[in-house]
Amino acid sequence: MKAVLDGINRPWIGAVLWLAGLAVPLALDQTWMFIASLFAVYAIVALSQDIVLGRAGMFDMGHAVYFGVGAYATAILNTQFNWPILATWPVAVLLAALAGAVLSAPIVKLRGDYLLVVTIGLNAIFVLALNNNLARMTGGPDGIFGIGVPSIFGWQLASASAQFWLDWVAFAATLVLIHNLDRSHLGRTLYYIKHDQLAATTMGIDIRAYKVLAFALSAALAGFAGTLFAALMAAVSPGAFVFTESVTLFAIVLVGGQGSIPGVLLGTALMFVVPQAFRQFAEYRYFVFGIAMVVVMVLRPQGIWPRRRSAGAKA
Amino acid sequence: MSAALLELDDVGIRFGGLQAVANLSFAVGANQIVGLIGPNGAGKTTAFNLITGVYKPNAGRITFDGTDITGWAPHRIARAGIFRTFQTIRLFNGQSVLVNVLAGLHLQTRQTWWQGLLRTPAQRREEERLRQTAMDLLARLQLDQLADTDVASLPYGVQRRVELARALVARPKLLILDEPAAGLNDHESAALNETILAVRDEGISVLLVEHDMNVVMNVTDHIVCINFGRKIAEGSPEHIRSHPDVIEAYLGKDDEDFLPPAIGSAA
Repeated sequence: MKAVLDGINRPWIGAVLWLAGLAVPLALDQTWMFIASLFAVYAIVALSQDIVLGRAGMFDMGHAVYFGVGAYATAILNTQFNWPILATWPVAVLLAALAGAVLSAPIVKLRGDYLLVVTIGLNAIFVLALNNNLARMTGGPDGIFGIGVPSIFGWQLASASAQFWLDWVAFAATLVLIHNLDRSHLGRTLYYIKHDQLAATTMGIDIRAYKVLAFALSAALAGFAGTLFAALMAAVSPGAFVFTESVTLFAIVLVGGQGSIPGVLLGTALMFVVPQAFRQFAEYRYFVFGIAMVVVMVLRPQGIWPRRRSAGAKA
Repeated sequence: MSAALLELDDVGIRFGGLQAVANLSFAVGANQIVGLIGPNGAGKTTAFNLITGVYKPNAGRITFDGTDITGWAPHRIARAGIFRTFQTIRLFNGQSVLVNVLAGLHLQTRQTWWQGLLRTPAQRREEERLRQTAMDLLARLQLDQLADTDVASLPYGVQRRVELARALVARPKLLILDEPAAGLNDHESAALNETILAVRDEGISVLLVEHDMNVVMNVTDHIVCINFGRKIAEGSPEHIRSHPDVIEAYLGKDDEDFLPPAIGSAA
């Protein structure tokens, strides 16, 4: 009975919080609406990082790459080829997924710490390519400005509130997908791989294939967040996709709680909402978050809000 | 021997300077329970790891069900129909008994990843079917009451049974058990004997490593004894029990103080 309540309660709480978020444009000013939109976008990236890190157990510290691929795909197609923003979505998502699959395929066999170092390298190469104006398209260190606003059925989502609705709905869709993932065969399989590769492979699980799939899915979701990010900021530049951003995403998952939706959302809020809300403290965010990481890892290594036992047990 | 389900032919593996298994040849026939015995460090678990693809042999050939599976990856060997348990229990801790057993249904799962993400009606039906299959097997091993319990909180003997359930639900052609009776009490060990015999009666061949001679002598049809990575004897339980090389391997030639309780209690 307790398990049943557990299964119903948590998603229910999530739905209520999400609905409460809908009131932000009604109750608060433009600044807060922007912060809420940014939270939605970063929550999607952090949740995507959690697929690879928290669920499949792979130390990917270059996740900003896939976020960036999505953002730049939209920025380039929109500003240089005049594609409507929505038309760039599938391209951004597929390109990011492809990058995830291709980059991870040769390295998923590596042990945790080695994989981590390789992904850091990938992130460094990615930022270097952006800074050097790759294919004369990425705009170098300044990035790309003047990204258009999305329009749905000819209706321009120009206002801050319209962007907010869009991002907030995308956020809800992501929550549903991740929630479903935890109750699916794929979610279980990733759990098996994370916790005992030998036992998993002797059950017939092709570990490499599933790890690449996890990377591709996670990258696709990050790419989706990237395209939302590009439209929200109306500009992209390499600074948003550097190694420290990857570290932040990594830390959000570890501090919040691996494989835990509420944990990751809490981590995202701490890292992206609190500094925005208290601008004067913004420069201390890495300081505060760094201390939080140390304290959490020592006192509560499973994260602030850990995954509940037997998530994924709901068959 | 052409009817054999599993056949090892001159299989060997070397780790650096250590020849862990050498020139090992034996067969497991259809509907047969074969025991692999030998002193500690004889290479029994290594032999299992060779058969299940965890290690790749340096020499020899392993044939299963008419197919050469030498050097195959473990997941392909599982696909061919060999499932195993481990000497040191390897369950997915932090998850329920049910979720652990569902791992054994991996190859029988017919849902795609995107059906899972979208939670389509077909996927829900599939999940229900998998759960039912797992629950039926859990009931057979008297584990159904524990379906929602975290495996890490279960007693050792029950954990062994969960691991057995996970391998059995996969419907193996050959079940490999690495010391299934280790750590079990007499009652559990007797239940294990019955389960192994029942499994064989369903047409599943069993290959097991065991130190508990009660299990070995009572359930196996055929025993292979190895020492220092080499086969020293093979035959019926009666034959093995009185085989001088086997007795020497266990008791030593001169050292008469050392009497392993295993052989003693079985005789």
